Amino acid sequence: MGFLDILRGKRELKQPAPDRLFAMSTAFVKMEMELSLSSAGKAAIVFQPLATADFDGIVKDMEEVVQGTGSDAGTTVDRTDDEYGYRWMILVDPDFDDLVVGVNAVSGAIQGGGYGDRILAAVFAFRDEQNKPLYWIYNYKRGTFYPFVPAGGSQQRDNERELRLKAQIGADLPVEPELERWFPLWGIPV
Amino acid sequence: MPRPNSFGKDTGLQVRMALTFFLLGLLYVVFGAVLVAALKSAVPVIIILVGLAALQLFTSDKLALAAMGARVVTPQEAPQLHAMIDRLCVQADLPKPKVAVANTAMPNAFALGRSPKNATVCATTGIMELLTPAELEGVMAHELTHVANRDVMVMTLASFFATIAAYIVQFGFLFGGTSNDDDDGPSAMVLVLVSLVVYFVSFLLMQALSRYREFSADRGAALITGRPSALASALTKISGGMARIPKQDLRAASELQAFFIFPTSIGGLFATHPPMEKRIAALERLESQLQGQAV
Repeated sequence: MGFLDILRGKRELKQPAPDRLFAMSTAFVKMEMELSLSSAGKAAIVFQPLATADFDGIVKDMEEVVQGTGSDAGTTVDRTDDEYGYRWMILVDPDFDDLVVGVNAVSGAIQGGGYGDRILAAVFAFRDEQNKPLYWIYNYKRGTFYPFVPAGGSQQRDNERELRLKAQIGADLPVEPELERWFPLWGIPV
Repeated sequence: MPRPNSFGKDTGLQVRMALTFFLLGLLYVVFGAVLVAALKSAVPVIIILVGLAALQLFTSDKLALAAMGARVVTPQEAPQLHAMIDRLCVQADLPKPKVAVANTAMPNAFALGRSPKNATVCATTGIMELLTPAELEGVMAHELTHVANRDVMVMTLASFFATIAAYIVQFGFLFGGTSNDDDDGPSAMVLVLVSLVVYFVSFLLMQALSRYREFSADRGAALITGRPSALASALTKISGGMARIPKQDLRAASELQAFFIFPTSIGGLFATHPPMEKRIAALERLESQLQGQAV
């Protein structure tokens, strides 16, 4: 935000950053081989549903598109609204690469409809060797990933594990450098 | 075909804001010239005043929080509020601010801090009880837009010369009569008069600027949440609640009034916030622009 923007009090919503979603496909190989993480077979994309007629239409079309590709790729898609008024499109597929492609199809459909600035994040669910859930969250606004490991208890997260994951994944994934932007998403439905 | 954004432009508001900045700047340039002409030896005084302004900028958030009886809360203490702000921050592309809660029945919320990295947003328990989640989200998005627009910084800098003018007027009244220096006798008198005018005019301009920043923040909140009507509904509820409680807005009290040596009487005449009806009308326009996209 430039000086002039500050003076003018200008606020436009940031459009999605250049897409680095597919870095997850390559990083997954390392996670599986070296970090003994396995895919939970689920991913989700979360966005703000706008109360306009064309937005509803876009979401319906997009569901059909992903369902359509699902029949041959084996991806199923489901949706749920959370208590904060955000909508989750949940994709289930045992094949991780298909999940990434599916998430990309959903975000592509929303962006194609001109509502790219409404997309919040994509979430990829993993399990570690103790079968505990951990997530990589992709921030569309910034084009970066960050780890999110819920610890037992209300709104507790395992920061140590998250920082270790960041170090372990190294340069294979564009990790969000600012820790104050590692926003948790509680109650991820995947 | 991707559209650039869901809402139209706010050219009128931008023009008015630019004009206000211009007038304020002009006023300060003239005042600065008069200051330099009158006080050739007053450099240390000005340095002290700059220091005071900096101190104000760096400590006002903590002071204001303490004055409000607000407390910074952890995600465990206020999970709903934190989760809501987390999502809004992603959407607004802001780092997470500190989140505070003030334990008072008055429905209000405010933002503090000189930069997004040092920001605090605060909600009262009253507003959290009064509003639905969607409405509260609109209010918090409004506060986050204040953070993103660096409104505390803008208003502090804008009020800096007004502060100096106010000091001079005050000292002029206190000591102007006693210091019978024949050399600068008339110029000191002129300085006090000029300061008085500068103080008054800059006060009016800053109130106008503050109102424009409010419109701007309303607009930003509508952009972030995509729900202008939720904020409009929140404003109606708050204004109903505020009318019963004989106090104006706290953001004004904590951030602006602190700068003024004569805070109360003039403050009532020229509000720092636009009238509620105008804000709601502006939000209604945004909502129809948003719906207008649906063809």
